[in-house]
Amino acid sequence: MTNLAFYTLSALAIWSGWRVFRVDSMIRATFALMVSFICVGGIALLMSADYIGIATVFMMAVEMTVMGLFMVMFMMNPAGLNPMQMVHQHRFSIGAGIAAFIGLTVAVLATNLPNNPLPAGRDTLHDLGVELLGGSMLIFETAGVTLLATMVGAVVLSSRRGRFGDSDAGAVPPGLQPGGQPAGRKVEKSGGHGGHGGDGSHDMNMNMKGAPKSDDAPHKGHGKMPEEES
Amino acid sequence: MSFALALTTLILFLAIGIWIAAILDALFYRRISGQGGVSVLSPFYAAAAHLSRQRLTTEAPDRLNWYLAIAGYLAIATIGLAVVPFGPETAVIGIKTSVVLWGACESLVVVLVFLHGWSPNSPLALIGAYRYVAIGLPIMLLSMFVLIAAALPARSLDLRDIVASQEGLWNVIRQPLGLPLFLLLGLSLTLRGPFDYADSADLAGGTSVEDSGANRAGWQVARLAMLVGFSAIAASTFLGGYLGPVLPGIVWLAIKTLILMAVVIGLSHLLARMPVARMLGLIWKFLLPIAFADLLLAGLVALA
Repeated sequence: MTNLAFYTLSALAIWSGWRVFRVDSMIRATFALMVSFICVGGIALLMSADYIGIATVFMMAVEMTVMGLFMVMFMMNPAGLNPMQMVHQHRFSIGAGIAAFIGLTVAVLATNLPNNPLPAGRDTLHDLGVELLGGSMLIFETAGVTLLATMVGAVVLSSRRGRFGDSDAGAVPPGLQPGGQPAGRKVEKSGGHGGHGGDGSHDMNMNMKGAPKSDDAPHKGHGKMPEEES
Repeated sequence: MSFALALTTLILFLAIGIWIAAILDALFYRRISGQGGVSVLSPFYAAAAHLSRQRLTTEAPDRLNWYLAIAGYLAIATIGLAVVPFGPETAVIGIKTSVVLWGACESLVVVLVFLHGWSPNSPLALIGAYRYVAIGLPIMLLSMFVLIAAALPARSLDLRDIVASQEGLWNVIRQPLGLPLFLLLGLSLTLRGPFDYADSADLAGGTSVEDSGANRAGWQVARLAMLVGFSAIAASTFLGGYLGPVLPGIVWLAIKTLILMAVVIGLSHLLARMPVARMLGLIWKFLLPIAFADLLLAGLVALA
């Protein structure tokens, strides 16, 4: 039973890991990677590492969600739904892949892997807690604070300079030609009336300008819609 | 209680829970609008209507992830209910780290709701999906603090021990901040009321805007199942679960689950909705510090 679960989880982990490089979307790749990690978490559970196995699942779920969303945000691929090539530098990556595979295989085969089953009644959770907050506390706390500082630093560095200029300078889309007028809708100067009513009427004008001129009927229908709703 | 019996109880509990949750939901809605009661068969009529409709699809959807999201949401709800102890030492999934397992379920809900909105390749569903992640992640963070605080008096991450530790005093009294915060998480997990940024009416149904026929029925059932699973978890964590005099444990658990289910449904109909940015501010600046305070309080009590 345990063997069957182990082989199933391993096969699924490898298959979804392979899918990461074969799918054509960042979101699919991200969640294929998540499935791979969850399977590894399941294998940890089989090895009686209760906490680590389940912690892997929830950490990877959150981590992959955040990673997928950030990739989509930074890559200008609307929603990550457009098909895109997920692999690049083919020759180098094939070489690196083969080298890593051979290296890891040699390491696994050459290592004298321990074979000491968990004694019945031993509380691994308690042992892990003692290890994390006892002997290895300094290491874990240092790593934790360093990672937090890195995250804050990364956000600070990346958040100010956005796609459309500095975030504190107001967002203006780039021009269609280099150095040209900003693309997108022109903001019309309001005639001093201000308020929402004024802006609304300008929007309506914009819509009418955008629509084909020969066909007048849809404009009227468009303009009436709010009244009909209320 | 044997495993087979526990599993049967789980399935019955879930099925009846979904049915009652659907009736309660309709009833609250009609009460607020001043109308009469609802037929106890109305959930079945709704299901029949959904199932008899055609299943539509969109242009170039991700079918695999679409179906997986619906099935996965239901599965996660069932796993949540499976860690709930039905009696002393009896849970379908009886492991030492069941609270952590529930935490993993919470985070997978965010993934699955996102995928449900992402897969149909449709703008409104996609907006719902992104919005939900923005709200779902911080609210989940909050629940982690609340759950750790609830685990402290039991000195265990096992939900069975957490229930047993409430023999003298329920956690709802011992940690008064816990249950209200956890109920807000419930609103978010079940996509309800003010925390429903995924499937709300302002996006014409959000992530489920493209669901029709059996898909829509499946998604609605999964949402109700999540409500049952969440309520049972909350009842066990804060209201003493199966503990209670005279009546058998499972009956107490069912009563407490029902009460919390009604509270969550009531809140979902009565609380006002907010824009996403304001809700994010509320969660990060207000609710999260309260969750910290809850954990701090529980820690001080545990030390004392």
